[in-house]
Amino acid sequence: MTFYEAEIKRIQKICYSNDKQINTVVATRNFIYNNFEKELNLDYLSHIHFTSKYHLLRLFKRYYGITPKQYLIIRRLEKAKEYLKNGMSVSEACYNVGFETPSSFSTLFKNKIGLSPIEFQKEQLSQNDSHKYFITCANKKMKNES
Amino acid sequence: MKVKGIGIPVLDQDRALKFYTEKLGFVKKHDVPVSDGNRWLTVVAKEEQEGTEILLEPSPNNFEPAKVFQKALKDAGIPYTQFDVHNVQEEYERLVNLHVNFSVKPIIMGTVKIAVFDDTCGNNIQIVEML
Repeated sequence: MTFYEAEIKRIQKICYSNDKQINTVVATRNFIYNNFEKELNLDYLSHIHFTSKYHLLRLFKRYYGITPKQYLIIRRLEKAKEYLKNGMSVSEACYNVGFETPSSFSTLFKNKIGLSPIEFQKEQLSQNDSHKYFITCANKKMKNES
Repeated sequence: MKVKGIGIPVLDQDRALKFYTEKLGFVKKHDVPVSDGNRWLTVVAKEEQEGTEILLEPSPNNFEPAKVFQKALKDAGIPYTQFDVHNVQEEYERLVNLHVNFSVKPIIMGTVKIAVFDDTCGNNIQIVEML
């Protein structure tokens, strides 16, 4: 057994021996992942897992290193990026991922991604255009060669 | 400051390019001759070609301490770095079918599932799936 395998087994015993707690946080994360567009709060999340909200908050932070709300924001922004890349308008993307106002969405997006949703979309579209251009050139080159 | 790339030391750049593109599915991005047969060689994820680049650097062959460090990690089974995957079990099965050797088979560590394979260029690489 390598040093790393021994460490995995040691850490598993020390940190990850409570299956019940782990199942609760994993189920919570999966619920957020699949229901990101809904109005989710700690009361609701704790209610569906029959636990107190402060206990769930502590557990989630302990195992994932972030709060459920922080994870929800990450998930929503990840999905918003996907929608914007596919050409959805900023306000549509905003409402479809569960934000209430385009202004709060844009501010958060800029803070976390470094670009406003519009700037992000423009950058993506220009990358797609240049990608298409390269593919077209490559195809022409292949045709000429054959 | 932004993170645009990470480096992975490799013993053989040709072999590394072949492994990282043909087996792992990355795409070559930059390949620039530098000197003495060394190249500035980077690959990116197929789905994120504007994302973080992996520099397959020939440091173990040019700087002895890099070689010693790489070998020490490899012998201890410690991954040099890790990549996110959607499903560790599926990726494990796909790579095993491509004759990739795993030192750690898929295992759950709390809220993640991991596995570790040999990149054939001197490194252990870990794949991770968030549960």
